[in-house]
Amino acid sequence: MSAISASEKVDGFTRKSVRKAQKQRRSQGSSQFRTQSAPVELSPLPQLKDAPSTEQQELFTQKLQQCCTLFDFLDSVTDLKSKEVKRATLTELVDYVSTNRGVLVENAYPEITNMISTNIFRALPPSDNPDFDPEEDEPTLEAAWPHIQLVYEFLLRFLENPDFQPSIAKRYIDQRFVLQLLELFDSEDPRERDFLKTILHRIYGKFLGLRAFIRKQINNIFLKFIYETEHFNGVAELLEILGSIINGFALPLKAEHKQFLMKVLIPLHTAKGLALFHAQLAYCVVQFLEKDPTLTEPVIRGLLKFWPKTCSQKEVMFLGEIEEILDVIEPTQFKKIQEPLFKQIARCVANPHFQVAERALYFWNNEYILSLIEENIDKILPIMFGSLYKISKEHWNQTIVALVYNVLKALMEMNCPLFDELTSSYKAERQKEKMKEQERNELWKKLDELKVSRASMVQNNSHGVPAVLNNNNSNNNNNENQENSNDAGAIMADKDPDVTDAASGSASCAK
Amino acid sequence: MDAVRLMKELKVNCEQEADFLPKETGLNLIVSAQQSSSQISARCRDTKVEDLWSLTSFFGYSARTFVLAVSLLDRFLAMMRVQPKHLSCISLSCLHMAARVTEEECDLTPVDELIRIGQCRFTVSDLCRMEKIIGEKLSFKSKAVTALTFLQLYHQITLTHATCRMETLSLEKLEAQLKACLCRISFSKAKPSVLALALLRQEMETIGSEDMLEIAFHIQRHLKVPDAELQRWSERVARRLSDYASPKCSKPNHRKLQWIVSRRTAQSLHSHRSVPELSTIPEDGWDQSESEDSSEDLLSSGDEALSSSLGSDAEGAFFPLHLGR
Repeated sequence: MSAISASEKVDGFTRKSVRKAQKQRRSQGSSQFRTQSAPVELSPLPQLKDAPSTEQQELFTQKLQQCCTLFDFLDSVTDLKSKEVKRATLTELVDYVSTNRGVLVENAYPEITNMISTNIFRALPPSDNPDFDPEEDEPTLEAAWPHIQLVYEFLLRFLENPDFQPSIAKRYIDQRFVLQLLELFDSEDPRERDFLKTILHRIYGKFLGLRAFIRKQINNIFLKFIYETEHFNGVAELLEILGSIINGFALPLKAEHKQFLMKVLIPLHTAKGLALFHAQLAYCVVQFLEKDPTLTEPVIRGLLKFWPKTCSQKEVMFLGEIEEILDVIEPTQFKKIQEPLFKQIARCVANPHFQVAERALYFWNNEYILSLIEENIDKILPIMFGSLYKISKEHWNQTIVALVYNVLKALMEMNCPLFDELTSSYKAERQKEKMKEQERNELWKKLDELKVSRASMVQNNSHGVPAVLNNNNSNNNNNENQENSNDAGAIMADKDPDVTDAASGSASCAK
Repeated sequence: MDAVRLMKELKVNCEQEADFLPKETGLNLIVSAQQSSSQISARCRDTKVEDLWSLTSFFGYSARTFVLAVSLLDRFLAMMRVQPKHLSCISLSCLHMAARVTEEECDLTPVDELIRIGQCRFTVSDLCRMEKIIGEKLSFKSKAVTALTFLQLYHQITLTHATCRMETLSLEKLEAQLKACLCRISFSKAKPSVLALALLRQEMETIGSEDMLEIAFHIQRHLKVPDAELQRWSERVARRLSDYASPKCSKPNHRKLQWIVSRRTAQSLHSHRSVPELSTIPEDGWDQSESEDSSEDLLSSGDEALSSSLGSDAEGAFFPLHLGR
């Protein structure tokens, strides 16, 4: 980190752009370049399409092995020829696996997985920018992408090849392989994560034996993300895969899956970077509820428990999710959660942040939600009424006021007598409050006047010594002055003991 | 207040009320009109009055403002042939005129706000012009004798004969019921004194106090209201009130209301619900698209899946115990 200037130190808030400009661009520690004893030159092998069918397998293996050589892409000058050879070879291999059948013989599997592992399994470099903000900053892209992309492509085609046999492949695509694959999801490069997402999806689909392991590892990643690091770049992609898994759950739902929902998905809502994966997360939650509606109550209570208190952007997201849930909710489930839910909505509606208020009020534009409210109007109206009435008078944003009118009108039409009742009781309460406030104000006024009159009484004391001190003196030095004041004090004490106390109070305050 | 003075005031108002009745022929025209774009129909007028009620409620205007506004509206509609497209301008003008007379200066909502909340299409100057027209046609100064005037007088009279039970006669409830009745044009044909009396009796019967009904009867005789007329309106009032209080809600016409939201909220509203790209993976089987090979693999790797402890679903503690709570 470069030095921060003195002026910035005083300011306390260094602008991000200034900081960035000052920071020197460190070169990316190459994620995969391993120093080799001597630079390796690749000599191009003959084309696969030209080779006779008897030799194709051998050539295929050779090419795969050739592609195990890694190159440093941060150095844009060296090994250009060899890099090109590898690139061309990889392209050819991709093509070969996609279009031909009978390519995947048993011997080929280990070679293939070895080439893939060598190329993509690497320790990801530490982030260039420790304050990487996924929403604002540009991600650091993988330097070796020209090759790595092709390797991913190859892996995908390999998995999707019609001859692909999971029974053979599972010897090589095992738990260790999958674990390393999952770690790559933390890559900053979105293209890489996109490939990984599709690849993992295919692997999950084809390898029944790996499914439980994959789910467990994803759990671990999420739990670590929520409770330990708060950093993982691939949450959205993993959630997308989970969405397709949840969609395929058999009924009745296994306890394990329900636990996952409550212990992982709901707490995931507390993450700071929720905006990056909220769409996928909400989709997963709604899918769960469509599978098993009895989960509605715990889910909504969970969301209410984690309701954002200080982040308005998150509140808007939560409101969007609630609307999606309400869109699929069953009326019996709705009855169970309506009271706590609408209490929260009443608070959102009165929120000074206009986007939050707006989003909450917009629920009344949803026909299905309106019909649910209508059915339960006698419970819901009393909860909403106070907030709505208050903000119709007090909210600063005019759009909100207009929306509140719509909502009040809709509610009024649903149940007029109840509305009238609430209006009059609300008005009565306001009256009471106003009266209390008036009383309070008058009490303060009285106290003020009391203070003023006491203060003037103290001043009138001819010796200028506060009567209090003499009053409290038990040992009198028989000083003439003191006696006089004592008498005066005594007289005062006789008349009104409270007065002198009050005076003493004001005298000491004056000090 | 002095009971005698109240009765005198009653009489005075009774004499004046005929001046403030909408023309019966005009009202009949509206009631019989078909729903069309050239004539105001009863339904049209009723919906507009309900809107006025919402606005009154929203702006915190008093019942007197509302009742006065409806009186102005009915009188104007009975007098002039108007097109439905002008109805919102007319009704809002009546509301504003009534508010100016009844409400405090500080509680008065400015006209542009009125128009914006009411989601109307006309301008402030349109409204001002309409106000002038209405004022001229009705020779409206400030006061009008309405059913509410009578209701309030009746209530006060009842209180002067107060025994402990009579505290239960709630003026607010009566006002709400009056508003409910005024939402139906048929009640505009009633004489305000009679309508108010019918409402009073209805409420008294609900409370079940013989003493109160005695007072109502006394008022009836004082104003010389014929039994038949009172009976007729009492029945109609009863029917209207039972409709109003029924648990069956009228489905709100929220589609008529405009939902204007800010740009940012609008953006976030439309961005969700994208179609998922990845295909569903069924829990107990393979991906649908790979069914060709799946039959072979089913036999060979099925056993493995069940026997390997790491592969099975239900075995072992799924969550590390120290995290479980």
